[in-house]
Amino acid sequence: MGLEYVKISPGFEKYMPRDYVDLVEYGQFGKELDVMQMGQFKELVEEHPMCAGCYMAYFIRVFYAALPKPEDTIVLGTAGCARLALSQAAVPFIYGNYGDTNAVASGLKRALSIRFPDKDKDVVVMAGDGGLMDIGFGMTMHSWFRREKFTTIMVDNEVYGNTGGQESGMSPKGIQLKMAPTGKKFDKINAVELAQTAGCVYVARISPTNPKRIAKVIRRAILAARKFGPTFIHAYTSCNIEYSIPTREVLADARQREKKDFKFYEWMTDEVKEYFNEIEKKAKEVKS
Amino acid sequence: MYFVAEVHDKECAKYNCKQCVLFCPEPNCLNYKESGHTAWVWYDRCKGCEICVYVCSDLLKRNCIEMVMVKTGD
Repeated sequence: MGLEYVKISPGFEKYMPRDYVDLVEYGQFGKELDVMQMGQFKELVEEHPMCAGCYMAYFIRVFYAALPKPEDTIVLGTAGCARLALSQAAVPFIYGNYGDTNAVASGLKRALSIRFPDKDKDVVVMAGDGGLMDIGFGMTMHSWFRREKFTTIMVDNEVYGNTGGQESGMSPKGIQLKMAPTGKKFDKINAVELAQTAGCVYVARISPTNPKRIAKVIRRAILAARKFGPTFIHAYTSCNIEYSIPTREVLADARQREKKDFKFYEWMTDEVKEYFNEIEKKAKEVKS
Repeated sequence: MYFVAEVHDKECAKYNCKQCVLFCPEPNCLNYKESGHTAWVWYDRCKGCEICVYVCSDLLKRNCIEMVMVKTGD
């Protein structure tokens, strides 16, 4: 971790893979790049085996482009689709057992704050609805109760996409899936309200239809987690395979869901609001 | 043979909009060339999902991207 680890030792440039040299020369490390410049710099995430047109892959792409300090970040994931792309990025990635991401992140964050007391080291958990709200539910909730200072991002595809389409706690009521032929009998878990009640200081729900907004939410969640406490983002990332969405219609579907149950929602405590106002004021002064 | 997106440079350069680049799910697959003001596709990375076509043709009505068949090694 840290910029020194990223740099290539002098004399070794021509022996390093082209992708890595590009990453150091034209990448995000040590620079303040805007997410709207995507496509003009070498991105942290590389080619990955996620399905064509997967909008979870898109969310992950924007997530890495929006990281405030990629050289000082550790990402945690668990079994599920997201890990396929998360593990292909130039940011340290820890693959937990199914459901224990938030427990691992708690220990990691505490260890980092002891080892580097004068530096901000960000820990981000990115896992699916199964990992956080079904199997890892207890550990997720308890990390929030304990007010651990890291960010939890749930990429919600509303199904167990990797294992053939079983219903998850986040699948909508009544939905018929390949491994749930009689239809789901219970409501979708209200994760956003749970997070608010459990003690998160910043909570957001978002559908990936606007890269600038996604980047803003991710940056805010990470910055708030550094100072105040747990933060949570609930992102809709459709599974076009299990929900049979033609790949061309994936963005249209995200826009549609944004109008229904994935309306943009952002909630934060008063002290966090004050902190952001201060930061934004400073940024404006620097610009002008 | 596989299916990839192709950008019509001349048409694309008229708009300077970059929207397809911002909505592509693959990293560094659709890129933006500042010198020519156009988007360009890194064919090896394209999985043929057509989201860029949806953005360019259905949403913006600009019709600058088309899906084409290419052979391995093209």
